Amino acid sequence: MAGKVIVITSGKGGVGKTTTTANIGTALALMDKRVCLIDADIGLRNLDVVMGLENRIVYDIVDVVEGNCRLEQALIRDKRNSSLFLLPAAQTRDKTAVTPYQMQELTESLKEEMDYVLVDSPAGIEQGFKNAISGAERAIIVTTPEVSAIRDADRIIGLLETEGLKNPEVIINRIRQNMVDKGDMMGIDDMIEILAINLLGVVPEDENIVISTNRGEPIVLKADKSRAGLAFQNIARRIDGEELPLMSLERDTLINKLKRIVGLS
Amino acid sequence: MMSSRIFTSFTEDILKSKQSKRGVMIMRDAISLRVSSKGVIITLDPERDFSDIKSSLNRYVGEAGDFFAGVNLFVNLNGYNCLLEDMQELISGLSRFEKIENIYFINEKENTKYRTTDTILLNRTIRSGQRIKFPTNIVIIGDINPGAEVIAGGDIIVLGKLRGVVHAGAQGSIKARVVALVLQPTQLRIGNIISRPPDDSGLSEPLRPERAYVKDGAIIVEEMKL
Repeated sequence: MAGKVIVITSGKGGVGKTTTTANIGTALALMDKRVCLIDADIGLRNLDVVMGLENRIVYDIVDVVEGNCRLEQALIRDKRNSSLFLLPAAQTRDKTAVTPYQMQELTESLKEEMDYVLVDSPAGIEQGFKNAISGAERAIIVTTPEVSAIRDADRIIGLLETEGLKNPEVIINRIRQNMVDKGDMMGIDDMIEILAINLLGVVPEDENIVISTNRGEPIVLKADKSRAGLAFQNIARRIDGEELPLMSLERDTLINKLKRIVGLS
Repeated sequence: MMSSRIFTSFTEDILKSKQSKRGVMIMRDAISLRVSSKGVIITLDPERDFSDIKSSLNRYVGEAGDFFAGVNLFVNLNGYNCLLEDMQELISGLSRFEKIENIYFINEKENTKYRTTDTILLNRTIRSGQRIKFPTNIVIIGDINPGAEVIAGGDIIVLGKLRGVVHAGAQGSIKARVVALVLQPTQLRIGNIISRPPDDSGLSEPLRPERAYVKDGAIIVEEMKL
């Protein structure tokens, strides 16, 4: 049975596309799914670093489309999870090294072998973005509670609709409930009201993300210790079709937890 | 209770400063534009001096850019007695319109009650970066999000939240109106009047249908009775 190709995109940079891709991919693999992550950010590759697989890259996506190697040769098996694979981007080339058509062919052949193919889109709306979405049948938009990120997400939704990718879903990343409560940050309802699309999940701001990203260990591996990790795990379960209520942001305990992390109490 | 608020009007500011010719001319324009099924009709005001007509026309030409691309333009003399040299100046001014299809001269008495009757219906939300432009009325069932632009020759009706930029009466009709279930535009333009919500207006604006129209050269926003 053919798997699903899902693009993870945002328009704006720095909202957490790569972190989201790495964590959802890892979480799905932990659920015994066969998952392949594709880094479509050619020239600025990051997903391999976040996954801790940088030193295993021999071939990359450009080698595959140019015929320098077979697809299986370029796939890197994750060091912790035998059902998780990464197709890395090339670092020395740029977005024009791959065409949307080649990308489509690539995802077509990958989804034969996989349950899920997650494409990590680059920021922006240019060729890299067009490449990333060309093979996808489902889109996840990552945004943060900032007016500029919401504006870009809205633009992306419009572009996806034009490209025939209907009903994208949104993940709100890096929310800080204590700031929302004080009225200093946009709330979930405000954002969903503007974007008017299905909410796939909310990920609280978590310092552990920085640590895990730098170590190359996705935070879902420690979902029992991290709220962000738990949130990503829940998102993966929803992607797989489970009906799961939104994790309550448990205002008090979260604030206390943040305070504890910051060392205020 | 009906309440109304006045949007800050850019042209009003200009008028107060009395420095811009543009502001003064808006108050008493010597030409008017409207859209018909045949094309765009420019009607001269026969009561006015030719210099007024000429400067109004030049301003329109300057502002229009390629807005009239591919349409037929009809210049209605409207009973104005045109000298040969006036006509020549008129022609040289009109020829600066970009990409226009054909220009015709007609001489008909203007029916001032005219409104655009053609209407486009859009059943979707207009998102950031999208730009909708029709020389007709536009009805949108959905929202106009921040960063989106909707430009209509006639009225704009939004059955949803209006948060982007809208321009009704884009060919210069200040009789055009904007109606929205929630009216919180980034900028609202009617004819040649540009306005924006007052800076102090936060999220506490009424979530009720409102209507914007031009009265005495200013854009008035008025709550609609249900």
